Amino acid sequence: MDTNVKATKNVSLRIDGELVAAREGDSILDAASANGKYIPTLCYLKGLSAVGACRLCVVELAGTDRLLPACTTPVQEGMSIKTTSARLTLYRRMAVELLLVERNHICSSCVSNGHCELQSMAQSLGVTHVRYAYNNPRVAVDMTHPRFVLDHNRCILCTRCVRVCAEVEGANVWEVSSRGIYSRIVSDLKDDWGKASNCTACGKCVQACPTGALAEKGFAVHEMVKESEQVSRLATRRTGSANGAH
Amino acid sequence: MANATHDVARESLEDQERLLIDQAIAKNGNQPGALLGILETVQSANAHKFLSMEALRYIAEETGVPPARVYSAATFFALFNLEPQGDNVICVCRGTACHTRGSRDLLDKLCLDLGVGDHEADENSEADKMALTTPDRRFTIRTVACFGQCALAPVVEVNHHILSHVNERTLQREVKSLTQGRK
Repeated sequence: MDTNVKATKNVSLRIDGELVAAREGDSILDAASANGKYIPTLCYLKGLSAVGACRLCVVELAGTDRLLPACTTPVQEGMSIKTTSARLTLYRRMAVELLLVERNHICSSCVSNGHCELQSMAQSLGVTHVRYAYNNPRVAVDMTHPRFVLDHNRCILCTRCVRVCAEVEGANVWEVSSRGIYSRIVSDLKDDWGKASNCTACGKCVQACPTGALAEKGFAVHEMVKESEQVSRLATRRTGSANGAH
Repeated sequence: MANATHDVARESLEDQERLLIDQAIAKNGNQPGALLGILETVQSANAHKFLSMEALRYIAEETGVPPARVYSAATFFALFNLEPQGDNVICVCRGTACHTRGSRDLLDKLCLDLGVGDHEADENSEADKMALTTPDRRFTIRTVACFGQCALAPVVEVNHHILSHVNERTLQREVKSLTQGRK
C-alpha cells in the first residue's frame, strides 16, 4: 500500500551502454527485462521473492570489481551495467558446472530431460563437460506423496518450491535443512512428503521446479513438461494485488 | 489434520517438558527471531542437551512457525543437537591449522579409545554435524570447523574448556581423568 501512495521515483541507468529508465526499488533484472535485455536466471521466478541463490544472473557494474546478482541488486541512479562479457560467461559457466557436480544430474534418465531449465542453461552457455569431480552424494527419492515425486538427485536448491509454497500457496511445506553440501529440501520435520500435514497437493512447487527434482507421478523420461510460467503469472497477480492494485 | 498432529505432539511429550517449552515460548514472545531463543532455552534445559522431534513438533504447533522452518533452523546451526548428547562433550577442531598439526589422528585415536563408530562413515552421511555418542551416553565426540585458536593448534575442547597443543597422550590423560572423576 505504502509503495503506491508515495510517487515512485524514476531512476536512469545504462544497461550494455543503452540508457534505460526504471522505477526506484526495481532490481537490475527487472530493469533489464523491461527493456528487452536478457540476463540468464535459474532460481529467479517472476512474482516470487528473489534470493540470489544460483548466481547465474551476475552482471558487471562499472566502478566495482565485484560481480552483482541482478535479481537482488536494486537499481541506482547512474549505474552502468554490463550483462554480457567473457568474464561473465566464465562465471556463469562455472556456476552451472558446480550445480551439475553437486548431485546426480544424468539427463538421459530424468523425467525432465528436454524440458529442464538447468539443461537448457548448460546448453546455451556452452557447457559441454564438467571440469570438477562429481560429488555423487547418496540421496533419497521421496515417493510417498500420492501424486508427486521428490528426487533429491536433481535438486539444485534454487528454493523456488520453498518460496512458491510459502508465498503463493501459503502452506509452508518446504524448507532447506542443514547447510553447505548437506543442504536438502525438507517437508515439515524431514517427514515424508506424503505425511506433510500442510500440503494441499496443489502442485505449484512441481510446476515451479526448474529441473526434474519435483515431478508428477506417471511421467516417464523426457515427459515432464513444467508450467512454470503459469505459476509465475499467478504469483505476479498475487504480488500485484498485495501492492494495492485491486 | 492440524489438531491430530497437535495431539500427537502433546501426548508424546512429558508434562514437565511441555511446561518448559510453554515457558520458553512465553518468555521469547512473538518477536521475529524468537524461534532461536526458544530452541536454545529448550535444548539447554534438556537433560541430554538435545531437541527431540516431539519437542520440535510441539514448538512448531505452539508458535505457529511452520514445522519445516523449525527443522531448518535446528539443522542449520551447529549449536543445536537432534540426538541426545553424552555427559562429557569432547570437541575436536578440524580446521586447517589443526588439521596440519594432526587433528585427524587425534580424532581417530579418540574414537578408537572410546569405542565409537567409524567417523569416516559418519562424515559421508547426510548430516553435516558429526556427533558420535558412546552407547553409555558418557561421551560425545564432535568436530568443529575452527575455534579461532589456530596459534594453539591442535585444539580440543573438553566440556567447554579449550586444551591447546594437544597430543594423543594429553588427550588420553584428559579422558581418563573424566572417566575416573565420574566414578
